[in-house]
Parts: sequence; C-alpha cells; structure tokens
Amino acid sequence: MAALPKRIIKETERLSKEPVPGISAVPHDDNLRYFDVTIDGPAQSPYEGTLLPPFGGVFKLELFLPDDYPMTPPKVRFLTKIYHPNIDRLGRICLDVLKSNWSPALQIRTILLSIQALLGAPNPDDPLANDVAQQWKEDQNQAIATAKEWTEKFAKA
Amino acid sequence: MSSPEPIPPPNDRRSSRASSAGMDTADGILPVGGPPNDPSPLQIRASNSLNSKNRRSTIAKQPPDLHLLEYVSQPDSNLVCLICHSPFDRPVQLFCGHFFCRECLDHAWCAQQEGRKTCPTCRSRVDPEKDVRPVPKIIETMLDELVVKCPNAKSGCGWVEQRVNVNDHVMLYCEYTLVECAQHDCRLHISQKEFHKGCLHYTVSCEDCHTSMMKKDLEDHQRTACANRSTNCLHCDASLLRLDLKTHIKDACGKVITPCQGTIVGCTFTAERAQTNLHEKSCPMATMAPHFRDQQARIERNEARLEPLTRKVGILEDGLSSITNMLYPANDSASTFPVTNPWIPTSPTPSPSNLVPTPTSASRPPRSHPYPKTHRSPFTNPSHPFDSQVHHLLTLHESLRDEVNRIANALTDLEGRTNMMVMNESQRTKDDMLHTNAAINGMRHQLHWLISATLQQRNSTRTAANAASGSTSGARQGGSAARQGPSAGFHAPLRRLSDSTRQDTKL
Repeated sequence: MAALPKRIIKETERLSKEPVPGISAVPHDDNLRYFDVTIDGPAQSPYEGTLLPPFGGVFKLELFLPDDYPMTPPKVRFLTKIYHPNIDRLGRICLDVLKSNWSPALQIRTILLSIQALLGAPNPDDPLANDVAQQWKEDQNQAIATAKEWTEKFAKA
Repeated sequence: MSSPEPIPPPNDRRSSRASSAGMDTADGILPVGGPPNDPSPLQIRASNSLNSKNRRSTIAKQPPDLHLLEYVSQPDSNLVCLICHSPFDRPVQLFCGHFFCRECLDHAWCAQQEGRKTCPTCRSRVDPEKDVRPVPKIIETMLDELVVKCPNAKSGCGWVEQRVNVNDHVMLYCEYTLVECAQHDCRLHISQKEFHKGCLHYTVSCEDCHTSMMKKDLEDHQRTACANRSTNCLHCDASLLRLDLKTHIKDACGKVITPCQGTIVGCTFTAERAQTNLHEKSCPMATMAPHFRDQQARIERNEARLEPLTRKVGILEDGLSSITNMLYPANDSASTFPVTNPWIPTSPTPSPSNLVPTPTSASRPPRSHPYPKTHRSPFTNPSHPFDSQVHHLLTLHESLRDEVNRIANALTDLEGRTNMMVMNESQRTKDDMLHTNAAINGMRHQLHWLISATLQQRNSTRTAANAASGSTSGARQGGSAARQGPSAGFHAPLRRLSDSTRQDTKL
C-alpha cells in the first residue's frame, strides 16, 4: 500500500490528542486505514447507558478509509447489534453524509458525530431496516422499549 | 465510487497533476517573484554562481510538494485547507467565501458529476468556470511567511525558513536533494552533496561486520548501524568508533609515541603524547617551534616571490640591450656602451658640439663601469657593487635617461639657432627682391614711354601718307566704311601691322 496521506495521519493524531467526548477511534496497528470505533449512546435516548452497572450504551463500529479518501466517504458499520430504523441487522447505516452528501471537507470525527446524532434522532421515514421502521411508526413506545432492551443486552462496555 | 474514471490516490498527486492539468507545470509552484515563466532572481544568481557551474549534475529533483512540508509551528487553522488539512497550496476562493487548494478542489470535483459541482463546505452549487476566484493577497502573504523545515530534513538538512523560499532551496541550494548519479549509465539517485564523489552505487562489504551494502551507505552504516562498529584504541583503551580510530591515533590518543614539536629546531625528546605535551610546556625549542615554522613559511613564500622577479629582470635587461643596439647600431659591443657612471662627476655642461653622444666621442669620460652589459644572470658575480641586478639596471636606465634629456636640450637649442639664422637670411633675400622689383618697374615705365612715343611718331607719318593716296583707294574704302562705321576709316590701315603694334601697346 502506498504511503499514508498526510491528512489521514493528521486526523488520527488529532483524534487521539483531542478526542470527541463519547467517541473513540483507534487505528489498527497493521492497517492505519482501519479504525476500531466506539460511540456512547446519546443522553435521553433509548441507546443511553445506565448509571449503575452494567452501564452499557457503548456501541462498537468499524471504520475504513478507502484509498481515495477524502474524495470518497469512509465506510462505517455497526458491529454491535442495535435496534434502529436506519441501521440494518448487518450494521449498515443509512446516513446521507456517508453516501450522496459526502464532502471532502468532512472528516472522521464529524462523521462519527453524525452517527451519534442519528442514534439520538431516528428517522423512520427513510428506513433501512423496514421491520424496525414499521414497528417504530406503529408503536413508538414499544419500539423504544425494544431499543432499550437491545442496548442493555448487546451494548456493553 | 460511481465516478466515471478512477480517481488517483491522493498520495500520487504529482503524476495526476501532470496528466490532468498540464498547464500547471513546476513553474506555477514558484510562490512569488514575477510572472511564473520568468526565472526568479535567485535562480539567475545561482545559475551564474561558480558552485552551480561546477555541479553540472542532471537534476532529478522535483519541486517540493507543499502538502508534504513539515511546519515548525502549528499553522493558523484559518490557513488550513479543509480537504487536505494542510496550509493552502495555491489557494482559490469560491463565491460562497470558502477557500481550498486549487488541487484539492480539482480532486474533490473529479468525483462529482459534470454540472453538479458543489462547495465541499456548504454544498452550494458552483460553476467551475465563473465562481472560482483568486484569494486576497494577504492570504498568500501569510502562507508565504509560514516557517517550514526542508523536505530533506530526514536526510540531515537543517534548513528552516519561510515557505516562500522552499522551492528555491530544494531546487538550487539544498545539498541533500537527490540528483541523478554522475555515472552516465547509472540510473540511481544520489544526494547533491556526494555527487562529485562519482558513482557510489556499487556494492561494498563492511570490513567490520561483513554485510554488503552500497558504497554511499557505508559511512552511515559504520557510524550508526554496524553491529561491530565500536572498538577500543590499541594504545589507550578508550572506546570509540572504528571509523574514527585513525584520526584518534593520529591526533588525540595520549599513549601514542610522538616527538616533541621542537624537532624542527633540534629537540630530540620523544615520548608518549601525554608526556610530550608536558615536556612541550617547558621545552624552549617547542615554544619557539611555531615561530620557526612561521619563519620557514615566510622564507619559502619570499623565495617563491623572488623567482618571477628574477625572470622579469632578465626580460627587462634583454629589452634594454636591444634598445641600446637600436640606438647605436654600428657598435653593439659592450665596450662602447655610452653610459655615464653616476658616481663619477661628469664633464661640465656639454657644449653643443659634443652634445650628441657619438660612440667614438673623445669628450666622454672613460667608462669606468665595472659591469659588462652582457652580465645578465643574477648572483653569478659575487663582487659586483650593486645590491642586485635590478639596481644596476635602474642605474643604467637613469643614466640613459640623462643622456636622452641632454640630447633633447641640445636639439631644442640647435633648432632655435637654426630658426634665427634662417630668418635673418630670408629677411636679407626679401630686401634684395624688393630692390630688384623696384628697378624692374622703373625700366618698364621707361620702355612704355619710349614705345608710346614711337607709336605716336609712326601714326602721324602714316596719316600723312594716307591723305596723299586717298583718291585711289576711295571706292574700296567706301564699301568697308559703310559696313564698319565711322571708326573703320581710322583702323583699317592699321590692320596690316596691327598685331605687333597692339601687343607693344599692351606692354
């Protein structure tokens, strides 16, 4: 693989020096384009962790920077199972900035912040997981309860 | 991902720049200083400098990529491109007020469909033809003033200066810039610093660890990498690099046996360096040694300087003798050389008769010159009275000059007198001529008077004769008189003898 572009090095350095609260992204030692990401579920959302053990609410993701990053968006996927209308069971995310609305002025930290925001504001009108979206529209309270349940079950620290 | 052509990876920018934007040649990178195609003043100076003439190295250098530069301090975040996260390189401004590097923007738009280009920051629609403007001058100045390290800093260059100078530094001055190897058929690169050492791209084996490597890497290897690089001095047990062993033994080791510095003036002390150093502090000869060395050097310098002088004197002397020969062509032997000895008072001011120095002139004092003219090579006659050949020559020269001066004076004198004589003579001649002229005039008057008298006499006799024979020639004269008018009657008889008479009258 060709030498790592300066921009990726800079972003990585900044992520470790000035981390975003509630988000961490650490590159793999053998492939500096591959990041292990954790995102805390936002407060006042079904994905928030508990104040008491076993805390939870920490979602694992993987992030990969393609060769022509930043001209193409990074590839991001949830590794932790999550009950969310815009995230399917394979962990793929439906988010405009990861697809058509990508801009090279965006960066890893802004993308991860967008994903965190997506957890706080599910959008069942533009679904990826149709069954979840259906449920969310029909009985929002039940859906939120399921989301909380899944969070406690899978999103452990 | 759906872009029509594969986007070159960002780290391969230079090649993509060359292919996608051909007009952006290396010149475009010159940050300031005149139009892009003009060589910068620095470039001109450098190309004229001796140093660069000596190099004649084929440049394998490429202009430094400003994106890869290392900045000494964290640059202001307002000067950083949002796409490459480096300070702007040839920035442009979009109509929405957002700034990007020209190159980054081209790359970003490469991925977007034709006619749907947007500002990477605010996503507003942009027309690449109209909406891209140059940035304010102050932005460029601030970018130029950012302090950067040399791109070759890893190879050892310590250059740190404003970014505006980095191109000139790398392309012209940096000793660590890679150039093509001096060897014609060697395709490898070598740093400018080692270019003059010839091709160093052959394999050598490290003497100490028997690893093979290229010659150019050998010294670095022996300094930093070789497993067997350190050793102990045979004499003093100090631990040091093998590479430095020889210089250590030669200059620094305290246990090596060295002679006292005073050997050149006769000190015979020889011991280990430490003791020799102690000895030298007290040895008078060692303290004097630098002085002697200086003296020796000075003597050598002077001898070297003497040699051309000697040659010059020889040439001058040759010239002098040829001048002498020219002046006295008949007598070119040394015995008649007309030099007056400056130490013997010469005869009183020479009279005009003997002023012109003839070689045979008896009035000249006998030449007591101890120095034959042919004596040319210096220091062959130890008894000659002059300090040196030059001195002698100067004397000769001086006396010759006196001689010439005297000749010149005499010539002026002579000229004056000749002039006076000529004037007197011509005055007298003029007077004579005046007298003669006057006499001639008088004679002419007399002659004139005589002639007119004769003419008158003749005329009167002829008129009388005409009157007598008037009846016989009357008919003939009537025709001509009708033609010639009233005077014809008087002139017609004169015509026969007219020529001689008229000329006489004119006289």
